[in-house]
Formats: sequence, C-alpha cells, structure tokens
Amino acid sequence: MFGFAIVAMAPALVISRMLSPRKRSNPVKFLPMECGQVPSGEGRTHFMMQYYPYILMFVIFDVMAIFLYAWGSALLYLPKSATLPMIGFLGIMFGAMSFALYQSGRRRIW
Amino acid sequence: MSVIAPQFKFSEFVKSLLDNAFWILFLMVLVGLPAVMMILFVIDLPVIDGELLTPFLAFTWLVDPTRTLPIIHALMATDFFRIAVFPGFGFAALLAAGTIFAERKMLAKMQLRVGPFYCGKIEGILQLMGDGLKLISKEIIIPAKADKPLFWAAPVLFVATAAAFVSLIPVAPGWVVADIDLGLLGVFAVIGFFPIITILSAWSANSKYPFIGGIRALFQMVSFEIPLILSLLGVVMLTGTLNLSEIVESQSAFPWIVFLPIGAIVFFITMLAELERIPFDLPEAESEIVAGWLTEFSGMMYGLVQLGTYLKLYAFAALFVVLFLGGWHGPMVVPPFPYEIITEGITMGPVTAQIPGLPLFTQEMLNGTFWFVLKTVAVIFFILLPRGVFPRIRVDMLLNLGWTKLIGLCFVNIFIALGLLYAGVLGPGGLQ
Repeated sequence: MFGFAIVAMAPALVISRMLSPRKRSNPVKFLPMECGQVPSGEGRTHFMMQYYPYILMFVIFDVMAIFLYAWGSALLYLPKSATLPMIGFLGIMFGAMSFALYQSGRRRIW
Repeated sequence: MSVIAPQFKFSEFVKSLLDNAFWILFLMVLVGLPAVMMILFVIDLPVIDGELLTPFLAFTWLVDPTRTLPIIHALMATDFFRIAVFPGFGFAALLAAGTIFAERKMLAKMQLRVGPFYCGKIEGILQLMGDGLKLISKEIIIPAKADKPLFWAAPVLFVATAAAFVSLIPVAPGWVVADIDLGLLGVFAVIGFFPIITILSAWSANSKYPFIGGIRALFQMVSFEIPLILSLLGVVMLTGTLNLSEIVESQSAFPWIVFLPIGAIVFFITMLAELERIPFDLPEAESEIVAGWLTEFSGMMYGLVQLGTYLKLYAFAALFVVLFLGGWHGPMVVPPFPYEIITEGITMGPVTAQIPGLPLFTQEMLNGTFWFVLKTVAVIFFILLPRGVFPRIRVDMLLNLGWTKLIGLCFVNIFIALGLLYAGVLGPGGLQ
C-alpha cells in the first residue's frame, strides 16, 4: 500500500508540474516566506525549544511502553504470580518518571 | 484595473492543451503499452471456468452479461483490488474527501457562516473538485537553497505513510489489506514515521516558520506517543492478541469502551494531538507561525499533504472504532440476498435474465461495512467538533498534559484492566 500510494500520487506532482505556469522572472519569489520581508540570516538556525528533557525521557519510556506490550499480550497465558514482578517494574518506572518530570520542571539546570 | 492574466492568448492555450495531449499519447505508445505487455508477461493470470483469462478473453467476456460478474469476482479476490479500491486507498480517500467537505460545512454552521456555497448547485457540493483543479494548476514554488529532493519527496512520503497506516485497518470480516499478527505494533511503527517526515520536510525548506513548526510537531508527536501506546495496553491485556482482526472478534458481546472508558478517553485525546488538530494544532498554528511546517508547500504539494492528513484522520478514527467500539459488530440490518434471483433469475415483463455470480458481496460483509462506516463517521464527527469549540493551548501546557496527566491516567487504565482480569469479570471464565 505504501508503494501503491507512491506510484499513484507521484504522477499528481508530475501532472501539476506539466500544467502549471513556471515563470522565473523574479528572484524575490523564491525567497523563503516571511510575510513580505526579505529574510535575513540562515533558515536553519539554532532554535532553543527549552523542552529538551522530554525528548530524553521519550527515548527511555517509549522502549518501556513497548516492553509492556510483550507482557500484556501474554498476560492471559501467564500464572498470576508472574504479575508481581511486573507491578514492581511498573512501580520503578513510575518513580523514575516522576523524578525525571521533577527534574525537567527545574529549568535552571538545562 | 488589473487584469488577471494580461498575456493570455487563446491560441497559446489551445496549443498547450494539444502539446500535452500529444506527449501523453506519445508516452502511452512508447512506454505505457510495452510496460503493460511486460507486466502481463510476468503475472499469473487467473483461471475462470477452466479457461485461462487472457486480457483479450477478459475484454470479450466483459460485454457478455452472463460472464461479467465472475470476472469481477476474480478481480475482487486480487490483492490489487484490496490495496487500490475497497479496504484500501479508494475507500479511505472517499471517506477523507467526505470528511473535508463535512468539516468545512459543519465548521461554517458552527461559526454562523455559510461555508462552500457556489461551486455546484446544491450547497457547494463540487467545492472539493474545484479546489483540486485549483491546486493542480497552481505553480509549485520551491524556495531557494531548499534541499530539493527531500522537499519534493516529503508530501509523497506523507501520503504513502498515511496509506500504510490505512492498510492495517480491518473493515469487515476478512476485508483487510495487511492482516499481520503484530498489527498493533505495526500501527505504532507507522505512527513513528510521521514526526520524521515532518521534521525532514521542515528542515529541507530552509525557512524559519517551517523549522519552528517542524520542531513543535516533533515535540508534540513524540510526547503524545507514550500515552498513545500505554492507553491501548489495556485492550491488549484483555484480549491477549495484537492482531487487529482478532481484537475486533473479541468484542462481539461488549465493546471495550464499556470496561476501559479511561483508556478510550486518553486515546481520543492523544489522537487529537497526533492529528495536529485544535486544541493541539501548535505545529500549524496559523495565527502564530504562518502555517507551521506547511508554510513553504504550494500547489499540489500542499494538496498531497492535506490528502495525507485526512487519510491519517480516517485511519485514527478507524483504529478507535476497531479497538474500543467493536469494529464491524452490530445488529444485522442488511436483508439477506433473495435466493429466487439465483435460482430463477430476474423477470422483467417477458424477459428473464439469469445472472450467474450473484451475490457479489456476502450479507456479513455488507453489514460489517455499514456498521464500521457508521461508527467511523461518528468518531470523525467528534474529532472535527473541537475545532469549532476550543482555543489553542500553549506548548508547556501541552507537554505537561501529555507527560503527567495522560500517562497517569494510562497507568490507572492498566490497573483497571488487571483488576477486571483478576476479579474474574473478563478473561477465561468471565463474560467473554
């Protein structure tokens, strides 16, 4: 389906390119959009988003969430005693997450 | 007074049309027909009634009404039909187009406007077609110093990824493009591609507004991916499978929203965030950063991104239906196919027509599709509704919501599922 969509949708761009006018009269036209101003400086600047700790947390807790699926899909076939270590794992992860959130709230250290 | 096209000449216009027609014919003859022949040389042709169906024979049979339906049956059994037409691209694109039109009309009514009105005689019903024609005939402007290959590839990749998401959705019993055992993990894998495409296109444009929008999209999608994944864990725990068709089968008595309402609500909120819809439309905030990461897209590239966005919307709504609302299950409302037509044929006056190959679709499939589409449309309505009601929220509010409140609710949901399982309400020996 991925390939089908590429094969079906790429011609739309080609047809559009064939139909549409192409005038290279004005170099200002090809400048990046800045509401009519002539842009100054680089387009790909260093932009401080201030929320970098969330990205770091994502790297860890996304993997955790996927690991939980390995347990969750097999839960019906496991003995009930196998749930206790998983609860412990969840507790550790919950604690780690709350500590990370607490740290990410302290903006001065970032 | 300014003229719209001062250098317009009718003769030039006709010449350009003829030029395009010539080149299309030229390429058809030199490339298209040989390509068709080569494909026919390679693929396996189906056997119908003991005869090998060559293209020549197929065209001959198509005009014979008694043999048309078996050919259509054979066509519907192929993978190509599933990918291109029914549970796949055509069906999803139709629903997506309907969604766009319904959204514009509904939003206009909510804001006491009229909405699309003039294009097409009845309530602007041809507005989408007009928009498509406009987009395809507009010039594509690529900003200077942009990374051209990436910039061209991004809209196509966006649509293709959305289509890959659509392919995992089961619509009716047995009607799914890719029925894989790890379907839900496949969904997560596909969802993970959207921020990558967004940030690549934003970076390749070499402009400031797309860059800021792309970074916002990255933050938003990344921080809502964990609540999204965790909120579906309850369903997987109760069903014990990751296959989406089996998850639907498990809801024949109760949809999971009855037992896991918190998971459903959290999934709905994360869905709004992943779709970049109000109140989470920070990546495209049109009143702050021009159009976010879509700023530099023009003409058909923008059209493709819109198509991909609405395909994604359909796929998320369908995923909600599959996981929480019971998919294709519902009371049987489609009447059974009258068997007199199969045995005796249709009698119209003096003529009796025997039509072999009927019925074209089974009763279960029609009923399943009906209920699936009905539920999906309802969910799409609730996705569209906040756009007329809520304002946009700030980035820090968004991240705080995603990381503290929604993840906490996800854990509550997991413990509700565990409690239901171990109290014996659900699972082996329980209700289902």
